[in-house]
Amino acid sequence: MTVSRREFLAISGAVGAGFALSTLGIDMGPVKAYAEELKKIDKMKSATQSTTICPYCAVGCGLICSTDTKAKKIINIEGDPDHPINEGALCAKGASLFQTTANNPNRLQKVLYRAPGSDKWQEKSWEWALSEIAKRVKATRDANFIEKNAKGEVVNRVEAIAHVGSAALDNEELWPLQAMMRALGLVYIEHQARI
Amino acid sequence: MSEGYSILVDTSKCTACRGCQIACKQWNGLPGTKTKNEGTHENPMDLSADTWKILRFSEGPSKNGNPFWYFFSEQCRHCMSPGCMAEAEKGEIIQDEKTGAVIFTPKTKSLNYEATREGCPYDIPRQNPKTKELFKCSMCFDRITNNMIPACVKSCPTGAMTFGERPKILETAKARVQELTKRFPKAKALNADDVRTIYIVTDDPQKYWKLAAGK
Repeated sequence: MTVSRREFLAISGAVGAGFALSTLGIDMGPVKAYAEELKKIDKMKSATQSTTICPYCAVGCGLICSTDTKAKKIINIEGDPDHPINEGALCAKGASLFQTTANNPNRLQKVLYRAPGSDKWQEKSWEWALSEIAKRVKATRDANFIEKNAKGEVVNRVEAIAHVGSAALDNEELWPLQAMMRALGLVYIEHQARI
Repeated sequence: MSEGYSILVDTSKCTACRGCQIACKQWNGLPGTKTKNEGTHENPMDLSADTWKILRFSEGPSKNGNPFWYFFSEQCRHCMSPGCMAEAEKGEIIQDEKTGAVIFTPKTKSLNYEATREGCPYDIPRQNPKTKELFKCSMCFDRITNNMIPACVKSCPTGAMTFGERPKILETAKARVQELTKRFPKAKALNADDVRTIYIVTDDPQKYWKLAAGK
């Protein structure tokens, strides 16, 4: 017995469970090219569902991540119908969230560094990147710290560093970040969504 | 044959966010297409074997001097009597009895691409140049036969897209057109008796897209 994928889907739909396919003795040959998609709808039925919030704009739409129970990988992300804000709907950015998962081969996995004036990216470690950022912030702040303004008033500020926030940050992350930037004396504190 | 399902696309509610276009790619696992800026928000510029749903943008001056900017979320209409099936004599294209979805099987490899495309009044079928297989929207057949609504409909934030039993969708379309006619005398549902993907427009369909109402 040979069936096309679509006929096969019709059968599995009629039977009501794609799981039954192995017992039906169906030849998987012709449907091989579609095996991935086929698995998806079947995997969705047994997938672990966890909720998350879209990291992009301030609307805060809710999503459901479906994680394959065996592979422990996310297989689908779509709107959460029970979420009071979006009721399952998503815009183009929210609908593309699946691309931000490990399933995207183009996603950066390592720190890339381009030195001033260079046209080449170098691979670096997280340790190197974090201590390098800390060193440079310290050096820039020390060199440019303004204790008093032209009128002689105490201002204790740094105008040589700016901070750009991210919409992917939540309230709890923003508080320590804001506190830290203010403590450094920064006045140019912006948000990516306003630029 | 039961009445099957229908999709209603009310363009008067569409903001062209393109959530539907991306949701389609996401669910069906379709890769991105390399594009460039053509001076419009339409992107990519046409359907392909990897793009089954596309937001068509159309702009221009109206007779009264005010500019118009229309959005048309294009996809397969899943016709009641599909023109594409005229070429498909060996089951290359299937019309599902229960849902009414028109489905391209892998057998479409053996079809005459030009003739099949020509047979579609809306110019929807596209070919994968490598495998020669033809592709288009499947009405999310795997979803709708498993108690889920199509990915595009689910993503729509403004409620411009709705999915359901065909008689109910026809009823909704009729009521909505009646309501819209008060503000837009030209409002109508395009070919509602012949297709399952029914578009509601508020102006001449050709202003949205040359084949909005078919050839």
